[in-house]
Amino acid sequence: MNNPFSLESKVIIVTGASSGIGAQCAIDCSKMGAKVVLVARNEERLRQTLNQMEGDGHMILALDLSSSDGLKEVIKDVVSKMGKINGVVNCAGMSSVTPLKMITDGQLDQFFRTNVYSAINLSKEVTRVGNFDKEAGCSIVFFASIMGLVGEKCKTMYSATKGALIAASRSMACELAKNKVRVNVVSPGAIETPINARLPHMADAELRKELEEKHLLGLGECADISNACIYLLSDAAKWVTGQNFIIDGGYTAR
Amino acid sequence: MNVQEFIEKFAEAIDIEATELTADTEFRTLDEWDSVAYISVIAMMDEEYDIQIEMPTFKTLKTLGAIADYIEKNK
Ligand SMILES: NC(=O)c1ccc[n+]([C@@H]2O[C@H](COP(=O)([O-])OP(=O)(O)OC[C@H]3O[C@@H](n4cnc5c(N)ncnc54)[C@H](OP(=O)(O)O)[C@@H]3O)[C@@H](O)[C@H]2O)c1
Repeated sequence: MNNPFSLESKVIIVTGASSGIGAQCAIDCSKMGAKVVLVARNEERLRQTLNQMEGDGHMILALDLSSSDGLKEVIKDVVSKMGKINGVVNCAGMSSVTPLKMITDGQLDQFFRTNVYSAINLSKEVTRVGNFDKEAGCSIVFFASIMGLVGEKCKTMYSATKGALIAASRSMACELAKNKVRVNVVSPGAIETPINARLPHMADAELRKELEEKHLLGLGECADISNACIYLLSDAAKWVTGQNFIIDGGYTAR
Repeated sequence: MNVQEFIEKFAEAIDIEATELTADTEFRTLDEWDSVAYISVIAMMDEEYDIQIEMPTFKTLKTLGAIADYIEKNK
């Protein structure tokens, strides 16, 4: 039987592929047969991810996604080298624990550029005629967080960006369905990665224990999230769009 | 470093009157001390003094004077 979760011969862009969940997504997409375009700023760490991948024909793209300058040409170039795009995993992002009164315009701007503008601008370029695979379809995955659904102290900036992505995905799904482009969101609970390893809720033993207890199944692993992405990228999810997949070990169940 | 100036910044970070505080204040006994206060103080130290303090180290500091000393030594 054909494996409905196979990504054989699909071209998938994974942003944030130099670290954490994005790196895991890139590796696992390669194991499922995809040709992967790995995007982040740090080229050396992208290479480290590439070294752990299976198959060949992957591509490294060192890019700062907080600015869209030149993105149109970059994506055209990717298509000419790799073929038409079948999926995008928008994993690049930043997080912080910042009390409300310490938030500045500059920080807000940086958060929205990095977490929201990046994903919307990349989706815009990928879904231009000729850039994505209109026959097989294209699956776009946004990365939100349970912090886009529920609150926590000192998470205002981060939550604002993640809520924005959840809302944007539904309208994008409506607009792009006619072109066989699906748009969905993955909202993870807490997983220890470089994004949070030094933040108080992970680094402090007491706060970490509290956080673990809020997840019915304990903290997650990167593969718990990459597996959801593989489903959304694959043909198994061909009738799924505009949805938010909450993969949180039960955090939001109570 | 001026300890009084640090005390004022500390007070502002956790929203209390500086007049309630001295270098000997054991800040963890304050009613206002909670996880947000803690994060606010860490963020204030980073912003005002360019000090990034690790959790275990911060836990060894008991009084406001001790934090001020730490900042002085690590600036
Ligand atoms: N870990 C969790 O608990 C958790 C929970 C919920 C949601 N999430 C979300 O999951 C996603 C991945 O998080 P993670 O935990 O894997 O974090 P991570 O290990 O810190 O990885 C973040 C990635 O984003 C890239 N990135 C950041 N700014 C960028 C920019 N301006 N341009 C291009 N790439 C940029 C980083 O690469 P470079 O530094 O090389 O550019 C890195 O590869 C994020 O969107 C995060 O909000 C994580």
